Amino acid sequence: MSIANTAHSVVEPSRNTRRLAGSLVVLYAVITMIPLVWIVLTSFKSPDDAISYPPKVFFTPSLEGFCNLFTTRSRQTPEFIRTLGPPQGLCDDIARSRNMVVAGPSNYVPRFVNSLIIAFGSTVLAVALGTLSAYGFSRFRVPLKDDLLFFILSTRMMPPIAVAIPIYLMYRTIGLSDTRLGMILLYTSVNVSLAVWLLKGFIDEIPREYEEAAMIDGYTRFQAFVKVVLPQATTGIAATAIFCLIFAWNEYAFAVLLTSGNAQTAPPFIPIIIGEGGQDWPAVAAGTTLFLVPIVVFTVLLRKHLLRGITFGAVRK
Amino acid sequence: MNDLSASSRITYGAVPLQPGLVRRVRGLSDKALAWLFITPTIVLLLAINIFPLVWTIYLSFTNYRANRSNAPVKWLGIDWYQTILTDPDIWAAMQVTAHFVFWTVVIETVLGFGLAFLIDKKFRGHGMWTTIILLPMMLSPAVVGNFWTFLYQPQIGLFNYVVAFVTGRSASSFQMLGDVTLSPWAIVIVDAWMWTPYVMLICLAGLRSIPDYIYEAAEVDRASKWRQFWSITLPMALPFIMLAVLFRGIENFKMFDMVNLLTGGGPGSTTEVASITLKRAAFESWRTGYSSAFAIILFVTVFGLANIYVKALNRVKSR
Amino acid sequence: MSLDAHTPMPGRSLADRILRRGPLEAIATTIIAAGVVMLMQPVSLTLYSWSFATTLFGTVLFTIVSKVRE
Repeated sequence: MSIANTAHSVVEPSRNTRRLAGSLVVLYAVITMIPLVWIVLTSFKSPDDAISYPPKVFFTPSLEGFCNLFTTRSRQTPEFIRTLGPPQGLCDDIARSRNMVVAGPSNYVPRFVNSLIIAFGSTVLAVALGTLSAYGFSRFRVPLKDDLLFFILSTRMMPPIAVAIPIYLMYRTIGLSDTRLGMILLYTSVNVSLAVWLLKGFIDEIPREYEEAAMIDGYTRFQAFVKVVLPQATTGIAATAIFCLIFAWNEYAFAVLLTSGNAQTAPPFIPIIIGEGGQDWPAVAAGTTLFLVPIVVFTVLLRKHLLRGITFGAVRK
Repeated sequence: MNDLSASSRITYGAVPLQPGLVRRVRGLSDKALAWLFITPTIVLLLAINIFPLVWTIYLSFTNYRANRSNAPVKWLGIDWYQTILTDPDIWAAMQVTAHFVFWTVVIETVLGFGLAFLIDKKFRGHGMWTTIILLPMMLSPAVVGNFWTFLYQPQIGLFNYVVAFVTGRSASSFQMLGDVTLSPWAIVIVDAWMWTPYVMLICLAGLRSIPDYIYEAAEVDRASKWRQFWSITLPMALPFIMLAVLFRGIENFKMFDMVNLLTGGGPGSTTEVASITLKRAAFESWRTGYSSAFAIILFVTVFGLANIYVKALNRVKSR
Repeated sequence: MSLDAHTPMPGRSLADRILRRGPLEAIATTIIAAGVVMLMQPVSLTLYSWSFATTLFGTVLFTIVSKVRE
């Protein structure tokens, strides 16, 4: 670390400078967190608290938002509700206090499961293809290498709506519309470009002497790749996988245009959660909270590699 | 700076193995293995990116409509391109896009660079606060954008409440998403909130790439802090700033998800950025040929900018 | 930082010095940027009409120029 060597150097900021810089950054961080905190708070509010004026910071926590997220309810007369047996579970209890009964599960869980399957499926495929190609590009002399790499990157730059038109027609023709397989293939093709670029950076950093030594010991190149390079690249592969996972998890444009039911993921579904008389904000907030939590965890895990990920592996620091 | 490395596209890469070693390899030859490794990726991209692209180019010269797929397809030549490129409504959509791209990039660059500059002072706990600041950019723009419509509600929304509290106006007196003058700014605010951290992260890398000895030399020369900032910090961080600006510019030029959920292009067409216009033509009016031509226009623009972006990427890579 | 890129090699002709990748790429980049600005400027519909052709030309030029030897 250069800081240690230059502890008394003239370029070291003074204590007051540091304090001022620190407080400004903390101020920005606090402001920028308010919307996120508000999402979490709203998910634990009752519908009345959620739309009260002035906005409530202190309120009695309620699980109604989560209940409304996971169930569909139907309105009934109080007389009818009295004829029913004791409420089944907390959500039924809350619903009955509003003259409703739980009619069944909502579509949130299937949409969430779709998100999981599509995100993991496309990540596994993209990382597998990406690792192979990245190794190929890193170690061998490939004709037109620069052009191929640019071509691979440029596919990620395409405007999603422009790609969606022919994909829609193509999937309609070959029967992949609104299927998980179709979405997995599509997300794989978008993610593979990031995977190739990122992993090429990671593999470039593994000294080729390791493989050469292994090959002199009698390994074939393929064995050297599997037994020497792959273990060395584990961190890079994991970081790449998380990036692919986050992209597929967050993707909205393709999902909203190409899926409508069976394969619909959570991002197009959450905005259309509606209750009686408009959007049911606590339920939307609950769905949003559950959807965002994995990403927050991954971001913390990934913080050392974020810079690499957003610059396609160019800036490594 | 760095002209040599910047001007070749992708400079870092393989140094060939010593020929003697290559010949000793058993099993598959290196060449066969290289193609075996690379081909699956290329095939996938050809099937899911390039084939559709070629198809789009073909469709853009025809009057094909996806909702009438049995109607006879007529070859129209470059008619659609002429229609789109002389249409004042599309031109207006491009200007809406320009407003969005320009202001988001300006705000994000100023705030992002400022934050990076402050974080680079290495105050206590800067690592943790940096991670916290980075959170918004990792989240789903659609899901978060949707939640911002709640914050923007005229009477009950937190954003309106805070603005009312600060300015003394009534919280229900303005509608961020329903007003023709405010809604273009509403989408700029959400985008800036989300992507300032992105610019900050890249600028921070730029600032950290400046070696201390340059500042030390400047101190010896008694250059003022102000002077040091303008003649050392800014020029040396500039390639990184350019990289961030280009990427945000490209991304916001094709912005769809967040705007679609915040305003859907409205009120009227005041926030109808290019992607929303395209989506309306392609998936609501089903003018497939027309929208294909528009898609190609957007695609070529992005492709051209991507060339410049990769050039900027290489310039930074060599640091 | 590579200073040698700036210093012209001795014994090279003028054409050799101009027809190098660096300057040609800069020209192509400028044309692409001009096309993008033309597409989004609010001043002239005529400029808007020609934006696509300009960007396309710049992009094609860039692709060709990047093949020119260093």
